[in-house]
Amino acid sequence: MQNILILGMVFSTLVGAILTLITTRFNRLDRWLAFGAALSSWGCSVAVLIQVFGGDIQTYRLGGYVPPFGIVLVVDRLAAIFAVMAASVLMAGFIYTIHCHDKCTSYPAFIPLFLFMHTGLMGTLITGDLFTFFVFMEIMVLSSVSLVAISDDPLGLEAAFKYLFISAIGSLLLLISISMLYASLGTLNMADMARLLISENPPLVRGAALMLTCASLLKSAVFPFHFWQPDFHTTAPTPVHAVLSSVVVKVGIYMILRIVTLLFVEDAAAVQGIFVILGVIGVFFGSFGALRTYNGKRLLAYSTIGQIGFILLGIGWGTPLGLVAAIVYAFNHAFVKSALLMVFGLVSSRTTPKSADFKDIGGAGRLMPPIIGALWMLGGMALAGIPPLNGFISKLTVIQSGVDVGDFLPLFLVVFGGIITLTYVFRTWQHVFQQDNPALQLEIKSYGDGVLAPTLLISVCVLLGIYARPLIALAQLAVEQIQDPTHYINAVRLFIGG
Amino acid sequence: MINLITALAVGFLFAVGVFLMLRRDLIKAAMGFSVLFNSVNLLILAVGAFRGDVAPFTTNLEGGRTLSDPLVQALILTAIVVSFGSYALLLGMVSLISRRFHTVDSDEVVNLKR
Repeated sequence: MQNILILGMVFSTLVGAILTLITTRFNRLDRWLAFGAALSSWGCSVAVLIQVFGGDIQTYRLGGYVPPFGIVLVVDRLAAIFAVMAASVLMAGFIYTIHCHDKCTSYPAFIPLFLFMHTGLMGTLITGDLFTFFVFMEIMVLSSVSLVAISDDPLGLEAAFKYLFISAIGSLLLLISISMLYASLGTLNMADMARLLISENPPLVRGAALMLTCASLLKSAVFPFHFWQPDFHTTAPTPVHAVLSSVVVKVGIYMILRIVTLLFVEDAAAVQGIFVILGVIGVFFGSFGALRTYNGKRLLAYSTIGQIGFILLGIGWGTPLGLVAAIVYAFNHAFVKSALLMVFGLVSSRTTPKSADFKDIGGAGRLMPPIIGALWMLGGMALAGIPPLNGFISKLTVIQSGVDVGDFLPLFLVVFGGIITLTYVFRTWQHVFQQDNPALQLEIKSYGDGVLAPTLLISVCVLLGIYARPLIALAQLAVEQIQDPTHYINAVRLFIGG
Repeated sequence: MINLITALAVGFLFAVGVFLMLRRDLIKAAMGFSVLFNSVNLLILAVGAFRGDVAPFTTNLEGGRTLSDPLVQALILTAIVVSFGSYALLLGMVSLISRRFHTVDSDEVVNLKR
């Protein structure tokens, strides 16, 4: 059955990108067009989510060709949850862009590039073909690199250059693993690969699995591959940073979930042991890195490394509860982190010269509308995991799954790491919004970026904290489905000739 | 024999690419980037499912000739386009950096380190 809504998830933003390339002279119109494209992509994602949870896995065969010969887009429950998360945060990003005062957002290339990034991101989440995954990933990387290179921050160019090299290594690893898998299995369709890997175990597959895992870890900035992330994310324009640090890093997590549950189920246990260690190191590295940073945007970029560690820990334990924890954590963290970044963008957009350094903006938050401080407080509490916000729910699920497994040493370590989160969130609150700074060097503008987008995201956080049950139920259903790869394989309905 | 030559070529190009990428000169590093991608393209060509001597879309198969694998060629075409795009972007950024810093020595482009 061809589900046309799946096509809408990817192609509405692609069409939007091409339209905005034509209408570059009308920047305001561009922004609204982009928002419309993101909105329709979001609508399609939510509709597909409802279909997927109401019925079976949805597929779309591009051009009508039968898989494994043609490319097929597959949305199962896991992909639907991730796609709705990505589309929601990206839509908030476009709402922020409408009233953004960054100079780079008025460049003619900005809106089309942002929409191409959206296309690439959604494509990686719903494709059922490994090579198409690579292509969508490259679309996403190239557009995000260009967006950072044109950022207002003069360091953006350098950071973008650095990231392009590092991501090229990741892409090479991905390509090599694709060629190894094609050499040993003769297919690129993920369902077909999974089907073949159940029965046979060719020699090259281990190496391919390793390279695929490394590429995914590099894309999500997990500990040994994290060094590019703070620079690259900090220098990005605010709406792009909000998307990069919250959902783009989740693409790697999504691929890792696919690796351990669909493709290489046999070898998953060996990799998962490493994930637990990497997760603990990531939590500590991210938390301490954030603690010693005195720049709001950089602090939040470091914090992302720590939060990815929590997600990796859930995947590493690998029990159904652990996977539920990973999905719930990924979902909640996307909203919290993007909201916090936008709040910081609000603060620095109201100062002249624009800055996110505590040295410059200490006490500046006091002179701004109180809603900004309130939003930071709520978002910070959610990040640190204080009830009744959604961060508490996600930390609770991780801890519960750890207790369930009985792996207490990493558990204690990450709970301690979580407490550090509380420290740096409240230190930032004190520095920026509480302390009285008579020697403030900056001029505070009466206008700045719009507060609508972070308010929406924070209200989602509060809502997900109070009504956490639906999300956890969805994640449980998704994990039930991905635990058995045959669901995915059968849904694609491969053509298997004699 | 042909397998060995391809393998050696892939290995050699990969080594050259890595060596160039580790140069201090940003332009040489960008060239290394391109060479690395081409070595991987060659690798993809080498892993084709079957070795044929005729283009895939023909019915003229007299004399025991076999078709070549079309999929790897399609993959390489896409990979070339992708790597070409990245390379263009990379060179564009090198030119911007050289204009801003008046050098292409990566040891002197260190504003991020501070």
